[in-house]
Amino acid sequence: MKAIKKTWKFLCSMRFAILLLVVLAIACSVGSLVTQGQTYDWYAQRYSERTAGLILALGLDDAFHSVWFIVITAFLCLNLLLCNLTRLPQLIRRTQAEGRPDGALRTQGDVTSENVPDPEAAFARLHMPKPEPCKTEDGRKALFSSKRRAGLWGAWVCHLGILLLILGFGLGQMTQKQYTVYGVPGDAKPIGDTGWMLEIDDFTIGLRDDATVEQYTAAISVYRPDGGDAARESAEISVNHPATLKGMKFYQNSTGWATRVNVLKDGAPLQDAVVCAGDFLPVADKPDLVVYLNAFYPDYVLTPGVGPSTASADMNNPAWLYSVYYQGRLLGMNALMDGEELTVDEYTFTFTDTQNFTLIQIKEDHFAWLALLGGIATMLGLLLAFYVQPARVWAVQQADGNWTLHGACRKGGAIFREKFAQAAGGGKGQAEEER
Amino acid sequence: MLQVENTLFTIVMLLYFASMLLYFAFIAVKKEGVAKVAVGLQIAGLALHTAALICRGIGAGRLPLTNQYEFATSFAWGLCLVSLIFVLKFKFPVLGAFSAPVVFLIIGYAAMQSKEVKNLMPALRSNWLGFHVSTAIIAYGAFGVSFVLGVIFLLREKMRTHGFLDEHIPKREKLDLIAYRSVSLGLLFLTFTIVTGAIWAERAWGSYWSWDPKETWSLVTWIIYAAYLHLRLRRGWEGRAAAIFAVIGFVCVIFTYIGVNTFLPGIHSYA
Repeated sequence: MKAIKKTWKFLCSMRFAILLLVVLAIACSVGSLVTQGQTYDWYAQRYSERTAGLILALGLDDAFHSVWFIVITAFLCLNLLLCNLTRLPQLIRRTQAEGRPDGALRTQGDVTSENVPDPEAAFARLHMPKPEPCKTEDGRKALFSSKRRAGLWGAWVCHLGILLLILGFGLGQMTQKQYTVYGVPGDAKPIGDTGWMLEIDDFTIGLRDDATVEQYTAAISVYRPDGGDAARESAEISVNHPATLKGMKFYQNSTGWATRVNVLKDGAPLQDAVVCAGDFLPVADKPDLVVYLNAFYPDYVLTPGVGPSTASADMNNPAWLYSVYYQGRLLGMNALMDGEELTVDEYTFTFTDTQNFTLIQIKEDHFAWLALLGGIATMLGLLLAFYVQPARVWAVQQADGNWTLHGACRKGGAIFREKFAQAAGGGKGQAEEER
Repeated sequence: MLQVENTLFTIVMLLYFASMLLYFAFIAVKKEGVAKVAVGLQIAGLALHTAALICRGIGAGRLPLTNQYEFATSFAWGLCLVSLIFVLKFKFPVLGAFSAPVVFLIIGYAAMQSKEVKNLMPALRSNWLGFHVSTAIIAYGAFGVSFVLGVIFLLREKMRTHGFLDEHIPKREKLDLIAYRSVSLGLLFLTFTIVTGAIWAERAWGSYWSWDPKETWSLVTWIIYAAYLHLRLRRGWEGRAAAIFAVIGFVCVIFTYIGVNTFLPGIHSYA
């Protein structure tokens, strides 16, 4: 029982919170220093075989999704939750108590100044609300004022915010669905397994006078292929301006080059497809034969010793660098001008109508709002914690008619004591001496 | 406008340098009048620095917050602003003597960067840029001041009692509290930076958090300062330990700003 109590106390403690924060900071640093998502060979080549083995064994190749990282984060959530739960009743009591004079009048406060000539003026100088008259237990006259009690809730709201943020992010990661669709205007493709089709109505690249890209804009439509239950919805998306259609969010993600590949077999049309740079095209009746489009060069130049490159962004000499594979074996690699023919056995390939394709990212994250709420709560909590400083000031009239001023401001420390001493205005006492 | 900015930038560097020398002279000759002139030069430098940033913004036709030069000069501006506020608020010119070299180093780093104005890539053409980067400037400025205060705190421990410095450097408790105030300001603004950055990233890249090195190191910095705040509340950990954390925190800030761009490229590589 004692061990359970001790464990519980530790799990709720600030000591545990600090330990978790330090461990989390180290874990994040390691995760960012080790390149993520690489293979054993890659790490072995970069570091050493022994280090590569260690990286994979410890899960450092995917640190932010590893079990140990999730465990640390889960413990942090537990600590935040327990801390907030155990503090809640105390916080409610304290918020109520700090608004009432009875508790304060029984104490001396953090700072005291005797023989204050004009207590009401001291309250005003400390920017306290107008004090309410009250009496001490022994019947002496007193004045009491408190302000900014919302500040007591700062850390609590901040902790709650972090908790919601982690929860929103975690749930989002577990449940979100993400798809990518790419194509050229006129293409209609299925959006993963959602049953919806995405049609790219238009895609434009806005260029400035100096040929730099100003914006990528795509016009898209979403519909059911069977014309089913819902009407077609359309929108224009660009970088920084996503759109929500049918409950999914569409982002203009990136772009690249695509070309129409026309395949003839013994002179007869066999296949016609749009293929993007970096994509493979298996021949329809002989899938072992594959054409891979390596890259596109709008103004192709071949420099000996350097390789292919483009002299400008203009379509002066458009050419594709392609590779041909048969049963996974590279047969050859070369450049093919737009419209030129490539013959492999009985097949003839032509690349025409090269244009930019758009890559559209589609996402469903039903918990992003929770993370946003968490972020807002964290900011609000910090604002309350740092800039809304609760303070109580009270004055008690002594038997000789003079007033003693007391103040309490837990977060104010030495600065509050200085202000207090100045506000007390000539009163000699503890505050003056401490300075 | 960019030519005006260039001239103003040179004058600002000279003013900051002169202000730094005068702050040093204030400690050497122990005359408060020298500190007042140093503060005056710093204010003049800050005013012209503001004008230089405005000229840059007008000349570039956008907020001057998008490349290494622009961020470095803005970072120096933020640090100068926050340190000046603390110098005046807490009547603490010695803080100016310690923060002025840091400001000068950062503006010196800015001077070494390319000042070329380039057109913005589509991802950077967003209203969130202003919120995200300007809050980062204030956060970094405040962390810079907390670093300086941490150093002063640690040096004060080593210093023999000295009438002049005793008079001009607050007592340990107050120094710790001023450092806490600057960390509070920095952490609040860093939180704004991270949250506004996440909102922007969601709109631009479709993901509000991608564990990009810049994001990760911003989080590491945030965690270090969060640990600092918790440490201060523990008996025996306030003061010295907190001062050490404030110094470590600023090392993280500098690594997030310069180190990440140099050693850990990611989607923030243009910054």
